[in-house]
Formats: sequence, structure tokens, C-alpha cells
Amino acid sequence: MTVRRPIYLDYQATTPLDPRARDAMRPFLEESFGNPHSAHHTFGQQAAEAVEVARRNVADLIGADPREIVFTSGATESNNLAIKGAARFIGNTRRHIVTVATEHKCVLESVKALEGEGFSPTVLPVRQNGLVDVDELAAALTDDTVLVSVMGVNNEIGVIQPLKEIGQVCRARDVLFHSDCAQAVGKIPLDVGDMSIDLMSISAHKMYGPKGIGALYVRRRPRVRLEALFSGGGQERGMRSGTVPAFLCVGFGTAADIARQEMADERKRLARLAANLKDRLLAVAGARLNGDADQRWPGNLNVSFAGVDAEALLAALIDDVAAATGSACTSAAVEPSYVLNALGLDAEIASSAIRLGLGRSTTTDEVEAAATAILRAVDTLRAHAQDSAA
Amino acid sequence: MASMTFVMPDGSRREVEAAPGETILAIAQRHGIAELEGACEACMACSTCHVVVEKDWFAKFPEPSEEEDDMLDFVYGLALTSRLGCQIVFTAALDGLVVRVPSDRHNALLD
Repeated sequence: MTVRRPIYLDYQATTPLDPRARDAMRPFLEESFGNPHSAHHTFGQQAAEAVEVARRNVADLIGADPREIVFTSGATESNNLAIKGAARFIGNTRRHIVTVATEHKCVLESVKALEGEGFSPTVLPVRQNGLVDVDELAAALTDDTVLVSVMGVNNEIGVIQPLKEIGQVCRARDVLFHSDCAQAVGKIPLDVGDMSIDLMSISAHKMYGPKGIGALYVRRRPRVRLEALFSGGGQERGMRSGTVPAFLCVGFGTAADIARQEMADERKRLARLAANLKDRLLAVAGARLNGDADQRWPGNLNVSFAGVDAEALLAALIDDVAAATGSACTSAAVEPSYVLNALGLDAEIASSAIRLGLGRSTTTDEVEAAATAILRAVDTLRAHAQDSAA
Repeated sequence: MASMTFVMPDGSRREVEAAPGETILAIAQRHGIAELEGACEACMACSTCHVVVEKDWFAKFPEPSEEEDDMLDFVYGLALTSRLGCQIVFTAALDGLVVRVPSDRHNALLD
């Protein structure tokens, strides 16, 4: 069976909008265009009702109360609001923040910005498998610690951090626990109660919803308070001013509802596909999987091919496979990924790593075709390297 | 006789006699401290009785209810130790209590 090329294997960068979410959004781009904050007419009321249904759908996916969901423009904003907002609100009494070296740039940059405001950060290392050491994290906490920020699923290497254990440590020390779950929500089961999470960042476009919207979960009991980033009309319980985009909320909510129902089956299916892909790729000499082999989201494979430059490999695959060397936000930079560096990989292995992301539309045939194309390209590049060395 | 102190927005201190069982709002009103308005008569609809409890005293009060937290979301100048004066009750153990009266108030009834 023929497959359409290039084969999209970059689901950590973004996912396609699920057609069911698109169909649900359409009326709110057309006749139901009202501003959800216009309380005095049916246009506004219709939009407001749809936003509240969406809020409940998102809440249900993570075991939250709908009143704990604040809509934002995406996970970058949610991470900024959670980290800066919580630190600035509590900041006159506690000034220490703990995070991890493999977090997304927007987390690390938010922490760095707070350092400029007088906060003192601890950026924990990870073990070779990409996982944080919970004992080391516990030892880093002090009476001055405001917040711990550790992501759910890593965007480059797919490893799943031990959120529940980290949550227990933070709760015992009365420290706020924020988790960037942009790559985790809708993929793995998450429960903010069970995991003792106080703040959770969510992105719609990583879970087959539209781009331009995300959410921040903000715990109500005990109440977590944030200093807002924006001044304005006080929408979203004062935490995020600005007109809430009803059509994006509806797409996000529908995607959340679909994910909640289909997550378990999808994970099993992707695990099978990923196992096939991994077996084929790792059979070649000098290939290795980066990040823990078991504690991972199966829709991610980060693989190094010794002696093959990842940029050259992606260029050779341009007509066959759409993949990445690292996170999309830093893929324009030629320096090797700081996430792979944090695993202690030597520079050559790090610069030979490609990230393959599988998702809802990935088929068995696509995986087979992609594996064949990648292996052929690796062979060709290695042969060239030998020729030019000879 | 037990007493407590209101630190007014201009920094002045009003030490007043306080009776166990009274809310902080009731104590303020009995002593003519008009800055704590209590526009909704303690039904948690206005937040005009917002006070900031001195840190050392804050933990001596029971936790706020969810409804009180919801009202606190809307006050001006929310602090870590903010409470609604209508929801916290004076007791003998609170003799010497100090609360700050914020400079600005927000009446949610007028929204």
C-alpha cells in the first residue's frame, strides 16, 4: 500500500486538528460569533455557555473542578503565568524556586526572569535516562522554597517524570507544585488530586485541538493565588484578562473530551507502532534510544545514529519523513539540544539524534515506510562519510 | 478586657476593646471604623471588609471557606494573609490581634 509522503512524524511539535474538534468550532466562527462576556444578549450567552462546556471538558480530563481552569493562549503563557504569578504573589516571604535542566525553554526562561527579580533558582540535573531523582529534589527544598516546576512528559525525549512522588514531597513541605503537562495531557492519565499538583499547564494543539489556546489549572482548595501577567477586564477570575476566544475553547474542549475517551486505546496502538519502529531502527549498528526505555510516552522516539549528522539526515529525508532534531522552538539553532546535553550524552551522539513523534493518524504502513527511508538515508550518509574519509 | 488593633491606611493605629464571639467587622463597626464598610452585611457578596492579618496572627484563625476564598479573589491588594473581616471571629486567644486595613476597597455588589 502506498503512503503519502512526507510522512508526518513530528507530533511533539504539533498535532493536526481533529476533524471532530474542527466541526464543533465552526458555528463559533460563523453565526455564533458573540463575545462570551456580553451578558445581555443571546449571542454572548450562547458563546458563554459553550465556553463553560469546554471548561468542564478540560477539567474532566485531569480530575479538576471547572472553576480551576483558566484559559490562556497556550502552554507558554500558562507556564509564565504559573511560575511568575505564583512567585510574585508569595515572593515577599519566600524566594527559592526549584526546576529541572530538561524543562521547556519557557519554564527555564521564566525562572531566569525571576532570578533577575531577586529569586534564587535551583536547576536540578537529570539522570542519564532523563528522569529527575526525587530524593535529590526533596533535598533541594528549603523553608524558603516557593515553587517546584517539573514537567510531565518531556518534549524531546518523551520520558515521563514521577509526578505523584514529586507532588507528595512538595505537599509535605508546603511548597507549590507546578507541572508543564503540555505533552502529557490527553496522552497519559493525569489526576491533579492524586498527583498533588497545584498548577498544571496545558496546550490544545499538542492534543489535536486548535493552536492559540491552552489552559492553566489553578488549585482552589487550598487556594493557589497568582499575580496576573496582564492588566485588563479581569476575565478568568482575574487571572487572565482578555476576551476568551469561544471557538478556540470549543475546539480545545472537544479535543479534551475525545482524548479522555480514546486515550487508553490510542496509547496501546501507539505503543505497538513505536515498538516496531524502535526495533527496526535500533537493529542498525551504532543506533541508540535516548531517554528511559520504559518510563516514556510511546509516541516519542529520540534516536541517535552514531556518525550521522542529524541535520544532514533530516535534509536527506525531506521528501519522505517530517521529523525534528529537537524541540521545534530551538530547531532553528544549530547548537546541540540542551536536553540531550543534560543526559550527559557526548556532543557527537547528541548531534546525531532525531526526534520521531507518532500520533493519532500514524499508520502501520507509514511506520514501515518511514523506517525503511530512515535506514536507507543513514546507510547513504555513512557511505558518503566513508568515501570522503577515504 | 481583651483588645485588638486596626492599622489604618495612613499608618495610624487604633487599639480598641474587643469581645470574644464578635467578628472583626462587628468590632470595627462598633468602634466607628468606617473604612470596613460591610456593604453586604456579612453575606459574602461585597468584599468591602477586607483586612490583612498580621503574619503571626494569621495561623490562629480557622481556614477560610471556599466562598470566602472566592470573594478574596476579587479584592484590591490581596495579600497572603488576607481575610474578610465578617468571616473571622475574635476569641480570647486573639487578645492583642493586629490587622491592617487596606487603602482601597472593591465593592463586588457594584459590579
